[in-house]
Amino acid sequence: MSLNSLLSTGLSSLNAQMLAIEVTGENITNVNTPGYSRQTAMLVNAPTTLFRSFPMGNGVKVSAVQRSYDSFLQGQMMVANSSSGQAKTVNSALQMVQPLYNELTTEGLGQTMQQFFSTWQDLAANPQGVPERQSILSVGQQLVEDFHRINTSLVSVKDNMNQSLEQVTSDINDALKQIAQLNVSIKQIETGQGVANELRDQRELVVRQLSEMVGVTFKDETDGSVSVNLLSGQSLVSGKDAASLSLSTNVATGYYDVMLTPPGGGPAANATAFIGGPGNTKGEIGGMLQIRDTTINKYIADLDELAYSLANQMNAQHSAGYGLTGTQMDFFSPAAGTAPPVPAATAAGYSALIQVNLTSANQVAAADTNPALGGTGNNLNALSIAALYNKSLNMSTGNATPEAFYNSMVGKVGVDVQGAERGENQTGAIVSQLNNQRESVAGVSLDEELVNLTKYQKAYEGAARVINVGTEMMDTVLGLIK
Amino acid sequence: MRVTQNTSANQVLASLQTILKRQQMLQQQAATGVKINNPGDDPVATQQVLHLKSLSAAGDQFTRNITNATSTLTVVESAMSSMGDVLVRAKELAIAMSNDTYNAESQAAAAKEFDQLRSQVISVGNTEFNGKFIFGGFKNDTAPFDLTTGAFNGTNDETKVEIARGSFLSTSYSGETLVSGGSPPGSTGVNIVGIFDNIATALASNNSAGVRAELENLDAAQAQVMAGRAEIGSRMNRLTSANSVNDDMKLSITQVVAGLQDVDYAQVLSDLTKQQNAFQTAVASSAKISQISLLDYLR
Repeated sequence: MSLNSLLSTGLSSLNAQMLAIEVTGENITNVNTPGYSRQTAMLVNAPTTLFRSFPMGNGVKVSAVQRSYDSFLQGQMMVANSSSGQAKTVNSALQMVQPLYNELTTEGLGQTMQQFFSTWQDLAANPQGVPERQSILSVGQQLVEDFHRINTSLVSVKDNMNQSLEQVTSDINDALKQIAQLNVSIKQIETGQGVANELRDQRELVVRQLSEMVGVTFKDETDGSVSVNLLSGQSLVSGKDAASLSLSTNVATGYYDVMLTPPGGGPAANATAFIGGPGNTKGEIGGMLQIRDTTINKYIADLDELAYSLANQMNAQHSAGYGLTGTQMDFFSPAAGTAPPVPAATAAGYSALIQVNLTSANQVAAADTNPALGGTGNNLNALSIAALYNKSLNMSTGNATPEAFYNSMVGKVGVDVQGAERGENQTGAIVSQLNNQRESVAGVSLDEELVNLTKYQKAYEGAARVINVGTEMMDTVLGLIK
Repeated sequence: MRVTQNTSANQVLASLQTILKRQQMLQQQAATGVKINNPGDDPVATQQVLHLKSLSAAGDQFTRNITNATSTLTVVESAMSSMGDVLVRAKELAIAMSNDTYNAESQAAAAKEFDQLRSQVISVGNTEFNGKFIFGGFKNDTAPFDLTTGAFNGTNDETKVEIARGSFLSTSYSGETLVSGGSPPGSTGVNIVGIFDNIATALASNNSAGVRAELENLDAAQAQVMAGRAEIGSRMNRLTSANSVNDDMKLSITQVVAGLQDVDYAQVLSDLTKQQNAFQTAVASSAKISQISLLDYLR
């Protein structure tokens, strides 16, 4: 032990406390930086040497600047983000669907259907009445337009989702490229003994953002890079290479297929079936595909079935009756292929095709015998048609009146919306809970940093005092010689 | 658990969001007066409400049908009543003329009056309502009774309307049954025009016995018209009771729908006040917390 070593011990402390203060400063300045992880200067005492058989310290040194990072939490956050991204997308799409079926505050298909059959009751009361006949034609037209309107609106929600795929795939491509670039930079810095804490923070933030758009897993590789895979295993980022997504229009459906070009190039494969995770339940892209390919199709199929069965029943009853001039015509066109039970294949698309077949009020068939023979006051067919509203039709869900079937359609949409809202709330709560946990592990607490600042400052002052004392002792020793 | 400034800031933000969302929902309820504004609010209740509303709309239609039927039957009833009056006068006249004491002159005058009464019967049989001949059956756009022969050209179909779900009521009465006594005439009752013709013939030949012979038939004719009026009367009763049942049903549906759908204003307003208080407290407390910092104490 010499005076010199006392000075160097003091110096080591000055350096170490200085560095610690710098780290604290870095923490404080990044208190609001998204994705930033709190860093800590790890102080260790320098290796001891034996001095007169006593172990003596050689000061302090900073062994590492560590960042608080929990890879398990990162994984959980990615899972939660994927679910939350999907739920948000599904909910916002269903919020567009819901008003189409909202009979509670607005008039809709259900009420028009009821009005339509009501006009037949009015006709039964006055079978020759021109206004009654005219109102059947106009309410019939209204009914047809309601079917068209809902069909068009549902298709436009699908189109919307299809359009959104353009944005989300380009965002995903950007994120994948960024991750691959960060992999390269981090590797470069860390092979030269450096620590790329900030870049790792950035990379993890991008991975988390990516997981909101598409369900992915990640793996830390030994060389400092991360590999990102789809939930179904396909590689998205491997080292310096990123996969890329592209869209190609499917000739059969007219909608986009999502194509995946693997990292490092190669033939693009159709990823539509698995990009959204199992059952399209992960990520925004999963939500878009689910709405586009499953949810809306169910609603359209129900609407088609209702239009088809209704038209079938109406046509059968209406063409059995006679118009004022003895006409026997279908009420709706196009004519249905077969009688119910409805073969699904022929019902498809019917809600978009249905039209009123009659062209004049005379053709409305109120009579069950030719009025030329049986009189124009015959209202028996009008009564039979009015009764169709309460008649159970053979629907795919079992026997149901048109009204009950429509109400169950509204119910289905309601249940889906309720589920989607709940899904968004729940997954959102999980995400914010996990964010809090991350914040708790990795977030910067100003108070804590201020305490650290004071602590290191005081230590710095102390170390300076040690050097001061050492210098005075040196002076004393030098004074002896004089 | 470590708590940082950002944790508290996020927490404050999240709770304010939650409170605002609830507040908005309650405000919507207060503004619209209904609990269920969208099918997603309560899918099960939505289906019930829709079904009940359709029942209520069907009830409105039945009310219209009942009103229509009532006015038609009233006209039928008054036609029958004036036909009854004609028969009363005919009976009086016939009883008087069945005495041998009247001379040919007064018999000729009586014959003329019978002629009048006969055409009155036919014109009552051709009563129109809203441009339709009420005794014509389905052929109600042309006069059912021939003005000269009194032959029936209408049909015997009944015009039915639905007055309750699956329950139909006829708003017409067969002119042939009422006036001609069935098809062919006289098969189920008496042919009133025929009786008048017979009396006129008897009076023309000064045959008071012939007039006497028709008195019985005139009684039968009165009974025939009375039977019609009784039938219409009972239908009117059915309409009245159907109407009150229908009104009761609509009223109770309205109440059930209100129970499912309507908000309890007291509840909503008190909830709203609670949320407002919560909001103020959250804002105030977060303002207080964020004021405190170690920076204030480090000098």
